[in-house]
Parts: sequence; C-alpha cells; structure tokens
Amino acid sequence: MSQEYELTLKISRYDPDTDRSWVQDYHLKAGRILRFVDLFRKINDEQDPTLAWSSSCEHGQCGTCGMKINGKPVLTCELLVENAVQMFKTQTFKVEPLTVAPVIRDLVIDLEKAYERIHIVKPYIIEFAPPHPEGDEYRIPPRVLEAYVEATRCINCFCCATACISTQKNYLGPNAMLADIVRLMDPREVANEERLKILYSGQGIQRCRTSQACTFVCPKQIDVAHFIALGKEGKFGKVNGV
Amino acid sequence: MGKQLRIDSVLRPEVLIIGAGGAGLRCAAEICERRPGTRIIAVTKVYSPQKSHTSTAQGGMAAVDPKDPVDRVIYHMFDTWKGSDCSADQNIIKKVCETGWEQVVWLERHGMHFSRTEAGRIAKRPFGGHMLNFGEVKAFRACYEADRTGKGIMDTVWAESLRHGVVFLGQSVATELLFSHGRCVGAIVFVVPSGKFVAILAQATVMATGGKTRMYQVSTNCRQNTGDGLALILQAGLPVMDLEAVQFHPTGIVGPGILASEALRGEGGVLLNKDGERFMERYAPTAKDLAPRDLVSRCIMTEIREGRGCIHPDHNMPHVWLDLRHLPKYVHRTKIQEVTSFFRKFVGVDPETELCPVVPTAHYQMGGAPTNEFGEVQKSPEEIVPGLFACGEFAAASLHGHNRLGTNSLLELITMGKVVGERVVSYLADAEVPGDVPEEAGQHVFSQFSNCLERKGHQRYARIRDRLRVLMMEKVGVFRSEKPLTEAIDELRELKRMASRMELSSKSLVMNQELLQFWELDHLLDISMVIAQSALARKESRGAHYREDYPERKPEFDFHTLAYMTEFGKVDFAKRPIDMSIYKARGKNYKKFGMIERKY
Repeated sequence: MSQEYELTLKISRYDPDTDRSWVQDYHLKAGRILRFVDLFRKINDEQDPTLAWSSSCEHGQCGTCGMKINGKPVLTCELLVENAVQMFKTQTFKVEPLTVAPVIRDLVIDLEKAYERIHIVKPYIIEFAPPHPEGDEYRIPPRVLEAYVEATRCINCFCCATACISTQKNYLGPNAMLADIVRLMDPREVANEERLKILYSGQGIQRCRTSQACTFVCPKQIDVAHFIALGKEGKFGKVNGV
Repeated sequence: MGKQLRIDSVLRPEVLIIGAGGAGLRCAAEICERRPGTRIIAVTKVYSPQKSHTSTAQGGMAAVDPKDPVDRVIYHMFDTWKGSDCSADQNIIKKVCETGWEQVVWLERHGMHFSRTEAGRIAKRPFGGHMLNFGEVKAFRACYEADRTGKGIMDTVWAESLRHGVVFLGQSVATELLFSHGRCVGAIVFVVPSGKFVAILAQATVMATGGKTRMYQVSTNCRQNTGDGLALILQAGLPVMDLEAVQFHPTGIVGPGILASEALRGEGGVLLNKDGERFMERYAPTAKDLAPRDLVSRCIMTEIREGRGCIHPDHNMPHVWLDLRHLPKYVHRTKIQEVTSFFRKFVGVDPETELCPVVPTAHYQMGGAPTNEFGEVQKSPEEIVPGLFACGEFAAASLHGHNRLGTNSLLELITMGKVVGERVVSYLADAEVPGDVPEEAGQHVFSQFSNCLERKGHQRYARIRDRLRVLMMEKVGVFRSEKPLTEAIDELRELKRMASRMELSSKSLVMNQELLQFWELDHLLDISMVIAQSALARKESRGAHYREDYPERKPEFDFHTLAYMTEFGKVDFAKRPIDMSIYKARGKNYKKFGMIERKY
C-alpha cells in the first residue's frame, strides 16, 4: 500500500443556531491520492457528522467546493493530499470558506448571493447579430473563437474573486468581468455599448489593481488578468462620451 | 422530541420546475419565449443552476445537419433504435432525431460556444454507435464544445432563464408532490439553508431532477444524484419505468469513477488489456472501440474477469488501459484538454506519454418517470396525470430503451425540454389556478422528517451507504443473474431496517447535511430495491441489462417495465408496449425498424 499521511485540519466552523464561530481541529490519517473532499467525508463518517461543506460534481467542473486552504483559494475536489503536503510543506492545513458571500454553516457559503454579481453582467447575448443568410448557425472562424475561448471555460467557482486584492464590496470581481468580456469578444453580440458601460462602471474594471492574483489561483488555468488587461487597454472600444 | 414541522409560506408561480439542469431550464426558456412574462420558480438541489450535473457532460450532442452531404436523419433514427436493443419508442426517436439540428441551432443562436470548422460552422466528431448507411461506417454527427459540451448547454439555458426572469430557489429539495382531484398542483419544497418548508402551488409542475446512480460504488454522478425525484413519483403511487436499464460507461477513471468521455475514443483513443492487446477488435470487428457503451463495458469486465486486467496500486481496483499516446499534440491540447487533465489531477498520469487506467462506471438511467411523447407523466400507459410533466434524464419517453448512445442524452435534454415547454404553454391556456393548499399537504413529508429527527439507535450512516454501494456494484451491476439479485433484494431489506436505527447528531433544521443524508438514503434504498426487482423480473438480456442466466433477448419481453412501490420491497409490475410506429408505417427502410439483431 502506498504512503499514509497524518494530517491535522483546522476547520473554520459557524453554527447559525447559536451564531457562534470557532476553529476546530481534526486529526486523521489519509492515503496520498485522497482529495480534500474525501477528507471532509471521512470526518463526517468517522468523527463528526455535523461538519457542513459543499461540493457537487467533485471533479473540478462545477465550482461548488472552492475553499481557502492555508489561505489559498482552491477547488477542494482537485487538491490531493500528496500535492497539498508538497505545495504547503506541512501536514497541518487551515480550512476556511471563501470570502465572497456570507457563511450559512461551517464551510458552506451563500453562493446564490455571490452569483448576483454574475447576474449584473448579463451572461447571455443581449442583442444577437443578424443571422447568417443561409439561416442556420452564425459563422465563427476558429481564429476568432481562439481569442476568447479560454475565458468561456470559467465555472464561477469564485476562487479568483476571493484571491483578488481589491475590495469585495461593490466590485464585480474578476469572474463577473470575464463573463462580460466573453460577450464583448463574441462576434454574435451587438450590444457592446451596454457591455462596455458595465465594464467601465464604478464597480467594474477600474477597481482592478493588477495584482494578477486571479490568474495565479484559477483552477482552470485561465489567464483572467490577460482578459482584464485587454479591457484596461481599451481593446473592446470606448463608451460614447467617456 | 416533537419538533413542530409546518409549512412556513406559500408561493404561487404559474409553473414550478423541480430540477434546474439542462432539461428543466431549456423547458423554462421555451415557456418564456412563447409566453413572455410567465411566472416560473425553478428549484435546484445544487447551489446555483450553473452547478447542475448537466455541466459535466463532455463529448457532444448528436444531430444530423440537413446540409451534411452523407448523413441522414434516418441513419440516426436507426442507430438509436438499434442501440436501444429494440426497446426505445419510435415516435420519440422520430420526434427527437428530426428536431435535433433545429435545437443545436437554437443553442448556437443563444450564445453557446460550439467548436468550429475552418469555415466557421459547428464542428462534428464521431461517437459510439453513430454510423452512416445503417451501420456501415462511423458518422461525424456529434456537435460539440471541445470536451465541455454540457457546460456550454447549461450556461446557455441558465443565462436564457435569467434573461426571462425565472426565479431560482437554490439548495432546495422537493419533498412531496401536491395533488387536488387527481391533478398535480405543485410541491412542498424544503429549503436546506433556512430549514423551512415552502408550499409552491402552480398550474403546471415540471420534474427534471436528472439521474440517480449514487447507489453504485463507482459512479460518474454528482453528490446530489440520489434518486429523490423518482422516490417522490413512487410515493405518489405513480409508476417508474425501465429502472433495470442502468448504463455503465466503459471508461470511468479508476478510483472516483470520474467520466473519461467517449470523445477520447472518438478522437482515436484505443482500449488495451494488460498484454497491450486491442481487445475490442475481437468483440466488435466493425465498430471496435466505438461500439455502444453496454457492449464495451461488458468486454472490459470480461477481460478483467478472465485475468487480462491490471490492478491499480493506490485504489486496489482492477482496470484496463485507455491509450491516447498516439494522438497528435493539438488534439491533446485543444480537443480533449479538460478530460485528459482529470488523469493528471486524480491519478497522476500524463495521457500524452502514459497509459490511462479506466474501469466501467455507473453513469446514466435509461429509465425514469414514464411520459408520453409530450412529456406528460403517465399513471398507466393509457392515462396521464394532469399538470405533471417530466423531461431530461429523469423522464423515460423513451428515447433510449435499454441502452443509450453517447451524445443522445444532451440531444434529449434540449429537444424534449423544448417539447415540454410547448406543452406547458398550451396547458396553461385553460389550466385552473390551484385553490388553497390541500388539507393533507405535508403529512407525508412531515412524518418522513420527524422520523429522521426522532430515530434512535447506533447504526452508522456511512456503513449502510458503503454496503449499499458495494452491493449494487457487485450484484446489480454490469453482469446480473438470479441468485445474486435475490441476495441483493434480501440485503436491501436488511439495510432498510438498519437505516431505521440511525440517530442524528444534531436536530437543527438549518443547513443540516446529516438530516439531508438520512432523507436521501431512504430514496437510494427505495430506488435500489426497484432496480433489483425489475432486473430480477426481466429474464432476458437487453441493452445495458445483461443477465448471465438469460444471455439472449427474448420476444416475450418486448415491453417496457412499469414498477409501482408504495411500501418498501413490495413492487408491482405492469407493462407498457414499445411504440413501433416507424415500422408500422411501412415506409422505405421500415424493415430496419423491426426487432432486428444487434451486432456491431
């Protein structure tokens, strides 16, 4: 059998019934390729069924299980014990919820609240370009798609928004801006003016401090900062009268 | 302990959608486009609709482009019929295959980021079981967005629902369907974060809660897919259909069972046994590695049983290899980037230079809540339940019969989601607004929840769950026969007894995941019981349902299994005939749609 690790997880807890917060230590043994979500399940099974944590697909496609591990926002379904030990050079891990929305219980946050930022940028096509004369799909050459296809891979896990050094308050944050930018680069979108207004609004791109923390933590390895930089350079055009 | 459970509030939308995944929200978008301003509440068990399991679908969506020089809708219809092992319904096959392309274009015109050809058109790739000229050569029929097609669909229908002002209720579960004079008038919904019960009364209720394979040890399904929707159907005294037909995807990543898309083989990946032999050539000389899923899964399990598999050192599990090393670098980097990253992340293997360990994994339910061709839920083959609709993986119309072809599920979500949307709009035209909350509303769910809250005993949830998952894998899995199935049924009874002696650590109703797990476990056990009994009753092999003691398909089983269970373990069966309208129409090629032999 492969190597086993002796781990300590220091988990942030919150009980909404009594409005009490504390940090609880859990000690457990785990094999090298267990994931952090497996560790939480192990704690539920063997030590404490009351610990609440969120996940869904558990293979990095839905973005539900984002948490801060030793301060770094990650998807906990993708973090293997072995890699965590290597990355942080320790077997003790501080586990905290993401900071983008209020905590409901323990590691579960009100993700619907965080999503309100995405709703502001209207992730759909606001106004569709005239259809192709042949009536079927719009034609998009691969080289046009290539310019923004990376940004379409975003799963709204909010790791970037948590890592961002700019304020959380009244700021769209990197992933919401990315959703706006995708449609600005999408040749099918006609309502660019409205999109630019959102991007350059008081809660938009001017709040970015160019730390590139978004790119650094993105679990999908999207170069978020690159797309935001294009916006800062005015590559998507200007709003009338600004 | 007498915790007072009560309905906290009443909401009155026009339409209630239970399950806000691909099918549910395609339906919502259709309703809003046809009838702007319709008030819709969509309930989802996950944290936001974008997190739905639809998002994890990878490979593509089959649809025949009318401009395709060689492909024809009739070939797609034939492949689906043949793939189903002659138990899909031909009226549904016709409807879905004929409207597929139109729905692909709908998605594109609403912003989905399809992969493109050099000319800028939607790109297509081959997929298992999809062929030209009635089974001769592989067809390029699957429209895709790299290896995240499901995400593309989910993002699109979710965004469209947002545009139209659909109200979402996240982290919430429907716990009881409400009826008034035989008509469905909504549901009671438990909002997990607040611990409150809400009665949602609506003219029309659409169920689209997806799949349910979390009762299997190795499964591609997400944590939330525990069969709650089907359990609700059974509780209401309604039937479920063809539950014995569980699809095992041949290539799950060994360990967690994560799906490694058929697109990997579509792009040229091949399966190897421990001796490095391309064993699929032996079993399916024409289709080889792209034979349908049930067949490939059985071949892999046979290789493993006959000692030609390997054992994974970390997971201590048998597996075979998927070889992707010979694929061009650009394919690795652009077309299958997401999926190959799973091998790197979860088993530490680099698919560009190393072999990938794979094993069959429980993936999809071909069966579900029986509906007619408009997605109206059936009480019996002759009678529908007014006001209750279903679509997506949750429903069985049935497009897939006893085996589904890859890329036909996403196709079903969008085509049948639209069909149900249309039907709901015409139903709303003269549907009565529900009256007061029915008097008996809540009785069922409150007794279920009080039971969970008040149970005493020392049985552990994890032990029951783990035993269930191993049991289903071993005895109700890829290979089945009478003795293990009978043993499984007995053991399920024992597990149900054990489950009645689990005690909660916390009695809080607010965001209590343990309480939710108790509630889910009951559903997993209920549905497992129906799967096992349905599998025992079908003494033949058909599609994904393979009986070693009855290895052939038999004409006396040319029907759909309808199963009712209002008391645990007591399953009553009925039959629904298979629709053979294409065959009966006696058009050109009608003979291809008879009870044909299934060879690849």
